[in-house]
Amino acid sequence: MENGATSQGEGKDPSGFLSEIIGNPVTVKLNSGVVYKAGASGGIGELQSVDGYMNIALDKTEEYINGVKKRSYGDAFVRGNNVMYISAD
Amino acid sequence: MASQLLPLELIDKCVGSRIWVVMKGDKGTSCHPSYPYSKFAGTLVGFDDYVNMVLEDVTEFDYSGNHTKLKKILLNGNNICMLIPGGEGPIAASA
Repeated sequence: MENGATSQGEGKDPSGFLSEIIGNPVTVKLNSGVVYKAGASGGIGELQSVDGYMNIALDKTEEYINGVKKRSYGDAFVRGNNVMYISAD
Repeated sequence: MASQLLPLELIDKCVGSRIWVVMKGDKGTSCHPSYPYSKFAGTLVGFDDYVNMVLEDVTEFDYSGNHTKLKKILLNGNNICMLIPGGEGPIAASA
């Protein structure tokens, strides 16, 4: 397919971006509107891993519902079908 | 006949430019730029065959009208409804 997606360099297309942000603080928003932040508030949390389904493993995660922090988790796995976006902080 | 431009080729032409992404609603039945579904305005960095997109300098407009600035995101293509090249989002559209 000549859409140019394969000709884009590292860190440009989705897979390159994902490999770029492994180990960094991230914000993940789900389709439900719930937000998970790993290491956002100066913590040491991070995105541990992600795969082609956008399944995500987060370390030291905070859960925000309607912008209000509700819970925190040591480790969290998010199934990829629920993910709206992954943001590099 | 003039040479045809495939849909994904059109998106490829938008790489490096501002783009407006309209998401579909929970029910997934319809979408329109003026409907209160989530929207993203940002610079298109790249995309793949599923139209998952990497966007930079993003403003997220959620269904309740709040704005959120995001530096760089990977947006899941699954819930994308419409792409508007050159769009700056609801603010520019209503101005």
